[in-house]
Amino acid sequence: MITRSLKRITSVWIITVLVLFVTAIIFGITMRFNQGKDLTMSPVGFYSLMTTHGITMIGIWAAAGLVAVNYLLGRYVKVSVSLNVFAFVTTVIGVLMIWATTFIGKYHAGWTFLYPLPLQVAWAKWATPVFLFGLGILGAGWLIWSVGMLLQILSKYSLKQAFAWQHFSKNPAVETPPLVLISTVSLIGIIVSLLTAVILLVLYFLEYFSGGNFTNDPLLMKNLTYFFGHTIANESLYLGLAAVYELMPESSGRPRFKTTWYVALAWNCTLVFILTAFFHHLYMDFVQPVGFQMIGQLASYFASLPAAAVTAFSVIALVYRGRIRWSLTNTLFFIGIMGWLIGGIGAVIDATVSNNMILHNTLWVPAHFHTYNAMGNVLFCLAFFNWVAHEFAGTQASVKSFRLTTVLLLIGGFGFVLMFYLGGAYSMPRRFSVYPQEFTHAAILASLGAWFATVYLVAIVLIFANIIKKCLKVFSPSFSS
Amino acid sequence: MLSGIAWSAPEDYNFSEESKLYTKIADIKLNTTRGEVMLSDLYVKSPVILTLIFTRCVGICSPFLNSLSEDMDNLNAKENYKVLVISFDPLDEVSDMERMAKRYEREDDPQWVFAVTDNIAELNESIGFYPVWDSTRQQYDHDALLVGINENGYIVRKLTGIRGPDALMGVIREINNEFVLSYPLPRENMIFSCFTYDPATGKKKPSLGLLILVLPGILTLLMIALLSLKKQQQSVGNG
Ligand code: HEM
Repeated sequence: MITRSLKRITSVWIITVLVLFVTAIIFGITMRFNQGKDLTMSPVGFYSLMTTHGITMIGIWAAAGLVAVNYLLGRYVKVSVSLNVFAFVTTVIGVLMIWATTFIGKYHAGWTFLYPLPLQVAWAKWATPVFLFGLGILGAGWLIWSVGMLLQILSKYSLKQAFAWQHFSKNPAVETPPLVLISTVSLIGIIVSLLTAVILLVLYFLEYFSGGNFTNDPLLMKNLTYFFGHTIANESLYLGLAAVYELMPESSGRPRFKTTWYVALAWNCTLVFILTAFFHHLYMDFVQPVGFQMIGQLASYFASLPAAAVTAFSVIALVYRGRIRWSLTNTLFFIGIMGWLIGGIGAVIDATVSNNMILHNTLWVPAHFHTYNAMGNVLFCLAFFNWVAHEFAGTQASVKSFRLTTVLLLIGGFGFVLMFYLGGAYSMPRRFSVYPQEFTHAAILASLGAWFATVYLVAIVLIFANIIKKCLKVFSPSFSS
Repeated sequence: MLSGIAWSAPEDYNFSEESKLYTKIADIKLNTTRGEVMLSDLYVKSPVILTLIFTRCVGICSPFLNSLSEDMDNLNAKENYKVLVISFDPLDEVSDMERMAKRYEREDDPQWVFAVTDNIAELNESIGFYPVWDSTRQQYDHDALLVGINENGYIVRKLTGIRGPDALMGVIREINNEFVLSYPLPRENMIFSCFTYDPATGKKKPSLGLLILVLPGILTLLMIALLSLKKQQQSVGNG
């Protein structure tokens, strides 16, 4: 059941996520202008900002997915508001600690904090343990929250039903809603990735406090880092997709999506393959056994293709020749699916070993992950925010007034990522605060990217303004649930 | 107690190829067979492969220099570099080094430089090279060491022992700023490596690290199994 307190905490999450999002976009634009030589930052300033931007973005969109799924699960199972509030508190503490390390302590090892960087202290000494502790607190909160949600699903559906296995036989007695299936698959992935983070942090602390008596194996640490980082970033996207399956037909005035045998099969495959796809981050690690490299390439294909194929098929079936009532909610879902597919193709190209030899650590990498984040998952979550805000306000999503926002979003968003793609295609390296002179067009592409991102920011602010007023309504004394 | 003595024995020398890596080598004055120079005068012009020997050595120095000299001829590498042979024995003089250069027919080879120095302790410290004087044998206990120094004076690669042309080529490429694959060797205090290498059989075996990698998956599976088992028991109880 969706209670008033669930609505209130959801509202608090939405406002927090949007404030942090706008701030992190400004950080991103600042970095791109610096790469474009339109302004000058010190390298330390740039990398501190890059670390803050990366970790904030990954964090808020993973949280937004959990918030959406938690809210929507309330339609099918009893959900815990106290766990939700607990996760919010740990998130705020974690974010404050992490921001303190990057802004005050000048910690700048990147959001992936790849071994051994955090231990090669080039910033305030306290920043390394505080950064790792901050991550630990944040991760622990989410881990408990995710386990709680899974428990709530399993308290109504059996394990087989949660995975929708009954749909492999004819006329199943119980239907597993797509939201429940996708949430189960994604929550399991999130739990695995957060447990990996716990192990990773323990290993870091062991080395940090051992005074040289314990050293980590760099290969193990890199595997663990990407097992955590890649998996959580990907599962966040799938949480967003759960909201697409639940709300896109509803917000378009069409019959809801049903779980069929192929939907069930696709999402079960996704669970297996998503957990092994991270090996594609280690193609350049010659000490990694070749077998793992092969698994990395195959899993990258199989993790993305089945889910992408059934989702694209379902959405095209929904939109094609149907009488759709377009609103900001389903428009954002639709553009988000496009962004997800385009970014996904970019990712599969990069995950193919022969291409990776050329594209590894070039701007192609931020190109594809910004596409399926900024123009994919972010839009799924914003669509949910917009839909839920209207629910809070008891209003209907307007059909016309979002045209300007959509145009700005499309031009700004795709223009911004296009500049990254062009940079990647010309082998320009990622994570450079300023580009070497040899890359004659890098600065101009960066500058253009920053301007496009500014247009994207305007669209986001317009959406934010529209949502925030409605979200605040849940706190008015006259609000009835 | 015994192990404590064994661990802290002063005769221990450090064979690590990673100590002092990516740190700057001491810029000392050298007395070469062709006159006085600073070490930096050499490496700014071309990167340097440095080896430390002593002329009275009855052990590793001769076979080591022999193999180095042969490998250099066989490789005939086109890259830009100099080979610098320095004596770490304070008793050695420039004339001893001249004799040594002649023995390897390198006295007129501009690529080879033979030298002694008054600042050997400073040089040794900056490299992490610690020869130990054995008064019974009247010899130094020391390892055969090659140090790759790039044109900025940084130690970018160290090789211990007589290692053959492939490893040598790696050093030459590395000091010329080419990317050369390398990985730290497993150490005693690295208990969680993914694989262990058995030098006797030459085989790699899966190790504890791999178990750690699959641990999150196993823990999650166990948790889900427990949760659904509990639920089954509850529904049997209720039914
Ligand atoms: C329009 C909005 C955004 C702008 C202007 C922006 C800008 C940037 C820039 C300039 C970089 C550094 C690229 C490089 O040279 O390697 C970067 C990295 C990154 N961005 Fe964004 N970004 C935006 C949105 C997002 C979103 C929505 C996410 C969501 C997850 C995100 C996640 C990241 C991550 C994870 C990194 C990598 C940080 C690292 O390498 O440690 N960004 N972004």
